[in-house]
Amino acid sequence: MKIAFKTLGCRLNQYETDALAAQFKSNGYEVSEQEYNADIVVVNTCTVTNQSNHKSRYVIRHAGRVNPSAKMIITGCMAESHAGQLQNKFPDATIINNKGKSAIFHTVDSLVKGGNTDLSDKDHDLFSYQSFSGMFHTRSLIKIQDGCDNFCTFCIIPFVRGRAISREASKVLENIREVIAKGAKEIVLTGVNISRYESEGLKFSALVDKILNLDGDFRLRISSIEPDRFDEHFFTLVGHPKLAPHLHLCLQSGSERILLQMRRMYSAKDFMTIVERIRSVNPNFNFTTDIIVGFPGETEEEFEESMAIARRVGFGQIHIFKYSVRNNTRAERMAGHIYEKVKTQRSKRMHALAEELSSAYRAAFDNTEQRILVEKWNNGVASGYNDYYVPMEFDTDNQRRNRFEVVKARVKDFE
Amino acid sequence: MQTRSFNLHTIIEKRVLTQATFILRMERKGIEFVAGQHIQVGPSNGIHTREYSIYSSPEDDYIEILVRQVDDGLVSPALNKLGVGDSVVINDAVGYFTIAEELIKDAKFLFIASGTGISPFHSFVKSYPGIDYKLLHGVRYANETYERDEYEAGRYLACTSQDKEGDFHGRVTDYLSKNPVSPDTLCYLCGNCDMIHDAFDILEAQGLRPENLFTEVYF
Repeated sequence: MKIAFKTLGCRLNQYETDALAAQFKSNGYEVSEQEYNADIVVVNTCTVTNQSNHKSRYVIRHAGRVNPSAKMIITGCMAESHAGQLQNKFPDATIINNKGKSAIFHTVDSLVKGGNTDLSDKDHDLFSYQSFSGMFHTRSLIKIQDGCDNFCTFCIIPFVRGRAISREASKVLENIREVIAKGAKEIVLTGVNISRYESEGLKFSALVDKILNLDGDFRLRISSIEPDRFDEHFFTLVGHPKLAPHLHLCLQSGSERILLQMRRMYSAKDFMTIVERIRSVNPNFNFTTDIIVGFPGETEEEFEESMAIARRVGFGQIHIFKYSVRNNTRAERMAGHIYEKVKTQRSKRMHALAEELSSAYRAAFDNTEQRILVEKWNNGVASGYNDYYVPMEFDTDNQRRNRFEVVKARVKDFE
Repeated sequence: MQTRSFNLHTIIEKRVLTQATFILRMERKGIEFVAGQHIQVGPSNGIHTREYSIYSSPEDDYIEILVRQVDDGLVSPALNKLGVGDSVVINDAVGYFTIAEELIKDAKFLFIASGTGISPFHSFVKSYPGIDYKLLHGVRYANETYERDEYEAGRYLACTSQDKEGDFHGRVTDYLSKNPVSPDTLCYLCGNCDMIHDAFDILEAQGLRPENLFTEVYF
């Protein structure tokens, strides 16, 4: 029995897909990311923007066209927010909400073996994914948290992922020990809002500290984090040899007024303070970020403030989102929605700047000795990311993946 | 879609404060919250809800919100039509505009509100007897000072922008500019976005550290 997984959106979705795929694989299923010849296709959707909805629908339609006889399972955030619409459009598909996602193996397995399944709205443990290593990603994603209580005015995620909940620290540590024992070299912490991690009084920094003190040859990547809860403890960890010198620190806007309108829980000044404190320890520390352009009421000057802060930080990478109305969010009701044409122009300008900044940041690493986690090998060239999350490549005959190599390497696709 | 759970709560009291502003007291029905958090509330027969900071204290066996009717709004006019015995839908309390317990006893607080942004401060004051605070309340007219007698004498100061019947004539930002705040004060700001934006800049210029400024924006 072959099962294919199609994943859209964030690292948390990637983690959940990887974990599910590993569970199917360990139970004898053939697992793939290609829907051709699959008996079952699971689409793990995203709804964070309108574009995500379009992409999710496209992937479902495409999978159905390529392989019409496959049983289609639709899950993820769009399955949560647009269940009725998806069911109408894809009447033969089985829609499973986020709380049922972790039980998809049992749902599908009973469907395959018994011809029917329990699709009741029963809540399953959001963290009951089995530990795994080396599924679709070389890096080992570890879920430490789910849900969000911030209710940023533009964001639909609290409505589809639910209330913030943290995984017990002992279980996170046990999960990491297991994947390290299975050979994982890079641990990536994932969640919806990991800066709000708190379990039995243990906060995010304390959890990171405990992870860094685990035995094994691995590096820890924090990945995407909100800049609203950095404590002194965290700054003491910067520079730890196991902590990757990279944060995806979500800015969203460089304008103080827009940040307030977004109900973000930090100011642009707070953001810069974090950047400067960390760069005082490691001047090369890589900051990547998300920026929304064209939020309701954003003036040209306020957009320029985002450009200015991007230049000051020198982001290694920027994910740029044109503001996209999400139903029932506060921003939907705000005055001053920006014309699509203006949003597109601002997006283009931000993209041009992002490219310039990324090249400038990466240039310093080109043809230098770096520690690279090898993820791919093709025609004598191995590639992967260095500690700073810069994509690198080097010539080698060694085809083995998931190994660290300290080597003089080129920045990938660098001109 | 909404994964927070909504429940029906009966209105047990309604206090009309001005022509446009009123307080709804509703059954608590086990809602857990910390002073400063907010809930979503809407009429039981509608599909819309709005966020309201909780006005009452976690010690009370009821839950209260302070509402200002927005004339072309979808929720507040409907809530204003409701009376004792009617029901509203409420979901779980959320939010981080709260005071860390260890600070309550010794810190000096300045609460800065505009309009109904006074709600979380009312909850703070009711929840933490003995808290050392001063409350600056920016309103247009002195009749919008809502339940000012609830606050200890000398701690509440109304800044009225459209009449001279308040304690200070002008906006809260004018008051702050003329009355610098001691840098060791913890400032909590709640209300209109522009007020918060301007007040934040004034307080920073007066030497307050950003980590001692806490904001909750109303729109």
